[in-house]
Amino acid sequence: MIEFDHVSKQYDDGTLAVDDLSLVAGNGQITVFVGPSGCGKTTSLRMINRTIPVTSGSIRVDGEDIAATDAVQLRRRIGYVIQHAGLFPHRTVVDNIATVPHLLGWDKKRSRSVALELMDRVGLDPVLAKRYPAQLSGGQQQRVGVARALAADPPMLLMDEPFSAVDPIVREQLQDEFLRLQHELGKTIVFVTHDIDEAIKLGDKVAVMQVGGTLAQFASPAELLSHPSSDFVAEFIGRDRGYRGLSFVSAEGLPVHESSTVPVGASEDDVRRAAGGAAHVLVLDTDQHPVGWAPVNGRTAVVPERLLDVGTTFTAEQSLRAALDGALASPTGEAVCVDADGRFVGVVNHAEIAEHLTTHRPRRAEGQAAG
Amino acid sequence: MDWGYVESNVDLIVSKLVEHLYLSIVPILVALVLAIVIGALAVRFPKSYPPILALSSAFYTVPSLALFVILPGIIGTQILDPVNVIIALTIYSLSLLVRNVVDGLRVTSADVRQSALSMGYTRTRQLWSVELPIAMPLIFAGLRVATVANISMVSVGALIGVGGLGELMTDGFQRNYLAPLLVGLVLSVALALVADVVIVTLQRWLTPWARLARQA
Repeated sequence: MIEFDHVSKQYDDGTLAVDDLSLVAGNGQITVFVGPSGCGKTTSLRMINRTIPVTSGSIRVDGEDIAATDAVQLRRRIGYVIQHAGLFPHRTVVDNIATVPHLLGWDKKRSRSVALELMDRVGLDPVLAKRYPAQLSGGQQQRVGVARALAADPPMLLMDEPFSAVDPIVREQLQDEFLRLQHELGKTIVFVTHDIDEAIKLGDKVAVMQVGGTLAQFASPAELLSHPSSDFVAEFIGRDRGYRGLSFVSAEGLPVHESSTVPVGASEDDVRRAAGGAAHVLVLDTDQHPVGWAPVNGRTAVVPERLLDVGTTFTAEQSLRAALDGALASPTGEAVCVDADGRFVGVVNHAEIAEHLTTHRPRRAEGQAAG
Repeated sequence: MDWGYVESNVDLIVSKLVEHLYLSIVPILVALVLAIVIGALAVRFPKSYPPILALSSAFYTVPSLALFVILPGIIGTQILDPVNVIIALTIYSLSLLVRNVVDGLRVTSADVRQSALSMGYTRTRQLWSVELPIAMPLIFAGLRVATVANISMVSVGALIGVGGLGELMTDGFQRNYLAPLLVGLVLSVALALVADVVIVTLQRWLTPWARLARQA
């Protein structure tokens, strides 16, 4: 647990970087600091491991005031990941990962085996072990950075914009893997980003900060989207916050209903009969997996190459946003619901989703307002 | 070319070659150590760097012969003492190397510094095991220039009687005799080339990552 207790940071030139910040980053949770540049989020992060001293107030790590700890020892107990990874260019991947074990004086063999194990864990091919950072892609470097932070198995991680220097596709992949990893490891993480989407995707709790170093709102992502505490927060979250808020509402309870289907290879007459006046019919393969929509005006039997894309399917465990996405992307306006194994369950159209929404609006959920 | 000269003076030629090597390498080693200490201080206390830079540039503009002659008066050594040449060349090498050490220590990016600090490096350890290794390519570049410059400047010392292979050259001039002049010339050029190859080999061996980074 990391507690900020009325923490302020004023630089020598008089700039107030952080202004009376109080919040608690809970154990095993991802707490995200987000805000525009100059809001003091990175300064706040760096005060935790004392690479920036606090001006007033105190920070406690697991109940212990960091001012009373040895700074170097404290840092070796807290993992750190930075933008551009900050890898040592003169050391191989495996030696980079083994940095903190090396500082802690572990024997070489143990450090190496831990480093190799972590490479596997973060999805790095072991052939890269002997390479130097300059020989890696940006995404690979960032994985090495995460592995390096985890090497001595610290209970806490500080992450300063770790994914912002890679392209959007790689970023999304890294975020997904990071969430999977966190699910296994359950570290206490403080994560800094300027990207509100990243904050909402990754955070258990999100601290929105504004220029001047004040905390605008500290809440769960769902709460943030449904009940921004100020105009600043609402504006910072952006226009489509309503739509994004659907990510936090379950698709369970949607009026998914039966729809007539045809198997792959069905004749034109079969399609016409199954459609019963509709313009399209859903086609299933022999395992009941949706393969696409067959237009009723077809002159030949149903072959997979002639079908319209099925769009994105969703499961009842997913969010309303996934269901609405499916409906909007579908050529018929109907989202296809499947079970966990990808087998067809039913369909729901966007009018029905909208109807469902009017009765199941995102409510003030579990998140509590603070700050 | 009078090969008879070479045959009858092998011992002299070898001893002058060794002396030449000694007079040029010792200043490099002393200057390297001093440059790392001064460079590290200049990086840690940035305000000290401009005066250090000004002083070293000023030293570099003093002609070597003048320095060889003035030094005994300043530090109280004998005029024929080899220490005069060693100290003078140390000053020149230091002037060259300090810049390269400082530039080299500044190569380490802010991200790398911040992550080293955050992982729990002490300042001294960070200098030795992060910043200095990363500075190596630039320090080696300085070493190559300083070493070749020293090997050529040692010969000037012959004018004050301490000049390694340069003494063979002045001998040739004074007696109007080509053989010692040619031997001195060829051997000092060869010495410079060999020293350069040795340094480059050492650099490749010590900084494999620098070459790979350029290919990537």
